[in-house]
Amino acid sequence: MLKGVNIHKSFGDLEVLKGIDIDVNAGEVIVLVGVSGSGKSTLLRCLNFLEIINEGEISIDDRKVDRKKDDLSNVRAEVGMVFQHFNLFPHKTVLENIIEAPIIVKKMNKEEAIKEALLILEEVDLADKAHVYPNKLSGGQKQRVAIARALAMKPKALLFDEPTSALDPELVGEVLQVMKKLANDGMTMVVVTHEMKFAKEVADRIIMLDEGRIIENATPEQFFNHSTNERTRQFLEMVDV
Amino acid sequence: MPDIFITLYDVFMRTYEGFLKAALITIELTAIAVVIGTAFGIVFALMKISRSKILQTIANLYITLIRGTPLIVQIMFLYYGITSIIVLSNFWAGAIALGVHNGAYIAEIFRGAIQGIDRGQREASLALGMNRSQTMRRIIFPQALRRAIPPLGNQFIITLKDSSLVYVIGVSELFGLANRESASSFQPFETFLVVGFYYLVLVLIFSALLKWYENKLDVDKA
Repeated sequence: MLKGVNIHKSFGDLEVLKGIDIDVNAGEVIVLVGVSGSGKSTLLRCLNFLEIINEGEISIDDRKVDRKKDDLSNVRAEVGMVFQHFNLFPHKTVLENIIEAPIIVKKMNKEEAIKEALLILEEVDLADKAHVYPNKLSGGQKQRVAIARALAMKPKALLFDEPTSALDPELVGEVLQVMKKLANDGMTMVVVTHEMKFAKEVADRIIMLDEGRIIENATPEQFFNHSTNERTRQFLEMVDV
Repeated sequence: MPDIFITLYDVFMRTYEGFLKAALITIELTAIAVVIGTAFGIVFALMKISRSKILQTIANLYITLIRGTPLIVQIMFLYYGITSIIVLSNFWAGAIALGVHNGAYIAEIFRGAIQGIDRGQREASLALGMNRSQTMRRIIFPQALRRAIPPLGNQFIITLKDSSLVYVIGVSELFGLANRESASSFQPFETFLVVGFYYLVLVLIFSALLKWYENKLDVDKA
């Protein structure tokens, strides 16, 4: 569904991704892990064209994206993204945050957009916050709004870039719960996270990056219990499992 | 009562009708300059942060020329420059000169405000499928505008006071009138004290309006 072949990405002289092949099937949940600097966030951003790859190709639904000819806005509209720091629009209410892109990008009429937004808000358990501004929300609530905002575009896949890393520990659970629900509903997801418990319970596959390369691509069972890769075992010793 | 207060009172009572009219001209000049300056400021700020090297160069040239030369020179240049091509009253020549002058400073205010908006805002907007211009118009600029309001207010106060310089091309605004009044009455000290008072009152009124507007924005957001 979402496929990358031989992805290379450099920032100046620093080569961050050194030839990544990744294939995300519809309905699959992939968790990307790796030490910081391994390139997992960069890979995620490349999949959404927030970073433009130097080499290789990315296709969505077997359609190759031509980064010179295609309107990247249309491509981005199909793949949602949830950020570590939420990036809600502070000058808009929760509801306005959610209906913005459907109205502006998809040209949906406002009543319909509001109706759908309220349904999505209900799913992330924030229906009562529709008319407040983001600065009145807790971190966990903000992230749930950010998820709702991405969902409102009915994306084919959702990318999560360390969605719980900026949260106070007691707020992590509510966000993970929403993500679990999405996974169970069949959403295609690629998640960069340090939450190993989530990876264990929810992921279909775990992909481990190290110095810009994929060094492990396995089921959680294999990854956590039977990995023979030296770097993977070092990594698992470092993180809390 | 000391003599100075009596003569001040006399000067005030004798001149207030003229000064009120002149104050109106000062306000009009300022208002027009603010509108032109803000329009110029937004356009040149966007040019300066655009990806086009040509637009960047034009914007830099404009900002450098305006900031590198005195306003009074610009007023004279524009007045004699423009009126040699088209017929324009000294009032409009002065207002346009003030506007173009302020545009350079306002451009820098907007540029700073736009670039001060967190990168994540742009990324979130792009990730939702909005294009660059939608992102600027709907997400970045509204936030930058809020941020720009305090420095813009400062700049508008400077505009109000700088409008006194258009007296050199014969506009009868506050300072122009004060200049003539002091010469004809031989009371420069009292006259300039009085005109200073008018400027102070205008600035205080404007500052109060600005404060009110800033508070209103804060309240709206809360």
